[in-house]
Amino acid sequence: MDDIFVEKPLRLLCIDDEARITRALKALFRDCQVELCNDPRQAVAMATHFDPDVVICDQRMPQMQGVDVLRELKTASARSMRILLTGYADLKAVLGSVNEGEVYRYVNKPWDNADLRILVFEAARIAREAPVITVDPISEQEAAEARGQVGVLVLEDDPVTQQRLREILQSHYQVRFANNAERALQILEQHETGVVISETETSAGDLTGLLKALKQHHPHIATVVVTERANAQLAMELINEGQVYRMLVKPVRMGSCRLSVDAAISRYWKLKRNPRAIQRFALSAAAAVPQTGPVVQDSLMARIRNLPSRIVQLVRFNS
Amino acid sequence: MTTTAILASTTLVAVAAAVYFFLRERKSRSNLTQSEEDSKKREASQAQVIHTTKLASLGQMVAGVAHEINTPLGFVKSNVEVVSDLLSEYEAAVTKVMTGVDLLLTLDASMVDRAKAAIQKARIELAKATSLQEARELLTDSAEGLKQMSSLVLNLKGFARVDRDGMDSIDLNDSVRSALTIAGHQLRDRITVVEQLGNLPKVKCMPSQINQVFLNMITNASQAMGDEGTLTIRSVAKPSFVEVSFEDTGSGIPDDVLPKIFDPFFTTKPVGEGTGLGLSIVHKIIQGHGGAIRVKSQVGKGTTFFVELPLAQSTLAKAA
Repeated sequence: MDDIFVEKPLRLLCIDDEARITRALKALFRDCQVELCNDPRQAVAMATHFDPDVVICDQRMPQMQGVDVLRELKTASARSMRILLTGYADLKAVLGSVNEGEVYRYVNKPWDNADLRILVFEAARIAREAPVITVDPISEQEAAEARGQVGVLVLEDDPVTQQRLREILQSHYQVRFANNAERALQILEQHETGVVISETETSAGDLTGLLKALKQHHPHIATVVVTERANAQLAMELINEGQVYRMLVKPVRMGSCRLSVDAAISRYWKLKRNPRAIQRFALSAAAAVPQTGPVVQDSLMARIRNLPSRIVQLVRFNS
Repeated sequence: MTTTAILASTTLVAVAAAVYFFLRERKSRSNLTQSEEDSKKREASQAQVIHTTKLASLGQMVAGVAHEINTPLGFVKSNVEVVSDLLSEYEAAVTKVMTGVDLLLTLDASMVDRAKAAIQKARIELAKATSLQEARELLTDSAEGLKQMSSLVLNLKGFARVDRDGMDSIDLNDSVRSALTIAGHQLRDRITVVEQLGNLPKVKCMPSQINQVFLNMITNASQAMGDEGTLTIRSVAKPSFVEVSFEDTGSGIPDDVLPKIFDPFFTTKPVGEGTGLGLSIVHKIIQGHGGAIRVKSQVGKGTTFFVELPLAQSTLAKAA
């Protein structure tokens, strides 16, 4: 077991209406301090009292959905890293978990014991080491400063969506458009960019590999995925392997798009001030090794690696 | 993944059986006159559509059961591994004691006291070890999980009638319960199900088709209700037939749509979501059984479907 957990054992809160699941988890983490919650309505009170490092929560429970529990825990237990455990991926739940619950990882039932232990210990280390980035927005003055300095990149080749995003974003941010990965990298090389809004594919091919690689090397840049081909499997993959910040389904709605980009810029700005918090949003070394989906060309990969890092003292992740 | 594979192969077996019986049925009726031939062809294409829909409902069923199975599979799989670890821990504690005992047996008198102290320490550790107790609890849970999975698989087999397609005399309440289990994952956490099932005489029918009808009724009701609602299923024995009704508190069906709901390919769902075959197939199956299906609906209040199946099956020759 890791050194930092020897003196103060890892604290894990397990939430599932099925007591056999929570008992199994308690046995699996019997070297940790584990609290079990079989009624999600009590989760917030328990978390406030217990101050867990990691929360594992079921999605489908009769009293309350996991997404709603996680949304409440986001403020009630801001320090903890939240993992959603589910037997069945429905798209609405996956989108809710990323957009509202800011879930760290999505794990399918039946889980793999060894993988789950690695994941939980890694999450707990981050919960203890990385400072919390609050969810409240930055001041209007700071926001203005951030918008002047930090750009938004749109990677999308569909003219309709491009036009729509231009209407929504142009007057508020420095928005730059790219039709392909090549052009997107040029923009990233030349301009400080805090948010990448991207489709999962263009006519030239799949973009998920690129998004994952970008996240792997530059975790402070927030990814907002805008997609037409939304399915639960892809969404989960993008959360677990690409740590996407928000996922929006086309046609893009003005309100949710503005909110997402505002929140993303605000987070980028806070991370810039507090780079140690970045690891909360980074990909784990474990996730970075063999990824599913298409691989990124070597030349692009080298350029992604060498993008100028515009955050002071940026720790190199997985390099 | 293994579960999915098992379920997929179960489906394949079910499909193969259905196709086999379908072909055998056709072969046995080969010497017919021209007009009979035409009507046979028509029936055959209907039967084919029924089978296609059956495949769709099998797919839905497999997805549902796979989901139901993941929870017990999750803790059983984890428990089995943990129990193995716990046994190793206990084994280590036992080994310590045994090593001390072996040492004691070969020692000369002067060392006995030290060996005794060591054994005593190991003995206390062993007494304090909770591994066996924990392992037993995990195994109790696992046995329960295996029971849940077996009953799901049994239900799947019962629903699909894998090993006995064809006519049978059944209690329609069993069909209702079976269809409810299969539809469980789309109802749970959202729809309250009220079962008012009366005592029923057995009805002679094609159980696989009737199961499909009931699943279709439940799925439609569930889809009509959105985020929450109540589905009330009643069954009652009348003098010459059995009636099973499905009442939902959903959106209801507008008057101009109502007359068309049993037409083939009529659908109100977005393109790509519904085939428009569901209710038309239901209608065909019930007609084939010499029964009737009626609907009562009020926009904003809900819809009730009444399925009637006759007790005496004189018109049954047309069923399949």
